[in-house]
Amino acid sequence: MIPVRCFSCGKVISNYWDEYKRRVGDGEDAAAVLDDLGITRYCCRRMILSHVELVDVLSPYQ
Amino acid sequence: MEVDILELSDRSAKFVLSKVSTSFANGIRRAMIADVPTLAIEYVNLYDNTSVLYDEQLALRLSLIPIVTDAETYVPQAECDVCGGEGCPACEVSLTLSAEGPGTVYSRDLISSDPKIQPADPTIPIVELKKGQKLVLEAVAHMGYGRDSVKWQAGVACGYKNVPVINIQNCDACGHCAAECPKGIIRFEESGAKVSEEDILKCSLCRLCEQVCDIHAIKVDFDENAFVFTMESDGSYTARDLAINAANVIKGKAEEILSILDQF
Ligand code: SF4
Ligand code: SF4
Ligand SMILES: [Zn+2]
Ligand SMILES: [Zn+2]
Repeated sequence: MIPVRCFSCGKVISNYWDEYKRRVGDGEDAAAVLDDLGITRYCCRRMILSHVELVDVLSPYQ
Repeated sequence: MEVDILELSDRSAKFVLSKVSTSFANGIRRAMIADVPTLAIEYVNLYDNTSVLYDEQLALRLSLIPIVTDAETYVPQAECDVCGGEGCPACEVSLTLSAEGPGTVYSRDLISSDPKIQPADPTIPIVELKKGQKLVLEAVAHMGYGRDSVKWQAGVACGYKNVPVINIQNCDACGHCAAECPKGIIRFEESGAKVSEEDILKCSLCRLCEQVCDIHAIKVDFDENAFVFTMESDGSYTARDLAINAANVIKGKAEEILSILDQF
């Protein structure tokens, strides 16, 4: 799961993940989406850019 | 003290604070980060958790969700006179959550016992549940201080810089400084280099322009008693309330010192 807040500055960024994933999946440019969502600092941007979703990988091994 | 607001929205603010000392400006900054109490989830009773996350991870995620705080109704638990720090309706609020997969559990699924107290953002994902996975819990939120844990930190990215002062004298209009400035704020006119009133606040005081000027015509300095402040709130308070609360915290501390001194 995407971390709730940015590790560095503490801004809540997880609530943008769904929209980011959808819009980038639709072919929009990641940088433009982040600008549009108001994620301006690079500490917050890397949280979303570098996130890998692992729930689907882990869920069969309960 | 003078305050000149440049930008103000619900969650963020930018203003010029002038005619104050550096220590006062820093006091405000620190109070916004560490000394304005907010509500955050402190312990969780888990009745059922078959999700992919461990109980501890789940509790961590819950604790980081900012909660809209009503500082008039609730008091920090350590200072609660009613219960002496044990936990009572004056200092804590309970939120319940019960969900079954498939689907993602969001912060809006938390049901608060006090309708005024709600997560600040409704769409924070807590955990994704697969078919048949279940989550039933009760979370208890306290008032606490940012100095004890980030989850109680209301101010995000609060900072300031001195107001820049740029003096240009005997300029020979060579244009080197305008080309060097990373902020692109030095304009170039026939009479020489110029920086406009509003652009000057964007200057980062990097002094690259000074270094490239062969005849030392440009001097970058700053006003020691004026600050450009930027601040953001995590949503527990509006940016305006956060700044006001921070100032009140400092006032309260100053009054406390006075009353201690009076006893001697
Ligand atoms: S100090 Fe840096 S930012 Fe400021 S005017 Fe000079 S080059 Fe530009
Ligand atoms: S580098 Fe110096 S001389 Fe050249 S334009 Fe800038 S201030 Fe004037
Ligand atoms: Zn950040
Ligand atoms: Zn109490």
